[in-house]
Amino acid sequence: MNKYNKPLPNVNDDNKEFWAGCKVHQLRFQKCQSCGNVRWPASPFCPQCFARGMEWIISEGRGYVYSYAVYHVAYYPGFEKEIPYVVAIVELEEGPRLLTNIVGCRPDDVKCGMQVEVTWEDITEEFSLPKFKPRR
Amino acid sequence: MKRMLLEMTADDAVFGHFGAIGGYALAARRAMHTFRTGPETWKYISIGQRKWANLNPAATMYDRPLSFEEYYKAKLIVEPFRLFDNCLISDGGRAIIITSTERARDLKNPPVLIMGMGQHNPSSEVHQATYLAGPTGAKRAGEMALKMAGITLKDIDACEIYDCFTYTVEITLQDYGFFGPGEGEDWFKNGTIEPGGRMPVNTSGGLLSEAYYMGLTPLSEATMQLMGRCGKRQLGPPTKTKSPEIILCSDNGGILQTHSCIILRRL
Repeated sequence: MNKYNKPLPNVNDDNKEFWAGCKVHQLRFQKCQSCGNVRWPASPFCPQCFARGMEWIISEGRGYVYSYAVYHVAYYPGFEKEIPYVVAIVELEEGPRLLTNIVGCRPDDVKCGMQVEVTWEDITEEFSLPKFKPRR
Repeated sequence: MKRMLLEMTADDAVFGHFGAIGGYALAARRAMHTFRTGPETWKYISIGQRKWANLNPAATMYDRPLSFEEYYKAKLIVEPFRLFDNCLISDGGRAIIITSTERARDLKNPPVLIMGMGQHNPSSEVHQATYLAGPTGAKRAGEMALKMAGITLKDIDACEIYDCFTYTVEITLQDYGFFGPGEGEDWFKNGTIEPGGRMPVNTSGGLLSEAYYMGLTPLSEATMQLMGRCGKRQLGPPTKTKSPEIILCSDNGGILQTHSCIILRRL
């Protein structure tokens, strides 16, 4: 296996549970125990009501494409072989929006509003990335 | 350069998402889903501003006219943006002296007055933002500036709009209220913003075709126009446009996260 040559996630105290979940192919998000808001990015306070109390939930991994961009230029050498590739904002059924990639279809087939589901890319011993593909 | 890319985009870089163009491309694509817009609208902005640059010897694109055909033929960078939807990268600087009206009266060039200012900063991360297709911070910032100036949009003679990408010009003018969502293409066509047009926009060529000096490209151009120092591109008889009394300028930061509006007038 070739050495992975793209940027890796920056793990911190807030998001380490998210990336640990990804490793076992679970999308984990914080749910506010005060107002019920499910949030991303991970943070110590709820951005809606500023309460601290939260629990981690597991998303079903289904959602839709809120918006997307098709990269025709590789701004980082590791992406040269990927172009054209799709970066998208996916809004999950539980509420949070994730910046991710759409895979499993041609860039021209991606549309705003398209239904998608999570698919996992195991990139290193430590990390798996949540990407999304069209929902059948 | 590589380190800067990674520091600015945090974990977005993991998915190959970099820089301002990626964020603005997401905004522009969402706008294309929300109302009628896209390259058919943006070409008028790119080409209209280029015509101003062709009158400005200081502009990077001074001697390079741009046709509709060339606009469409240019390579895709991050879709939906083509090459000429992007601003330039420039080395240089601009400065404006701000002083009291009293002191300004004694200076060589005629003074330009600040009539009104407004700011609004919606500031979410781009993936959580609800304003990518408007209303952006321009809506409230524009209302504040007009209120402070005591005028309406009808009093504006020209605009100098922060134009990091063509779409930024459209959404900013739309949020200021010059036209409704999806009416941009009709508003821009027939040379509205060009030399000879009824609402000149980015009369130096702007960030797209003059030079990228952040918010100072629009601000310095508005000041120079009101002073009457713009030579062949001077608003008024030289370009068959209205002689400017009042010019509106914008600036925004991040991916539409911050917005400033300032309205200037001739003394």
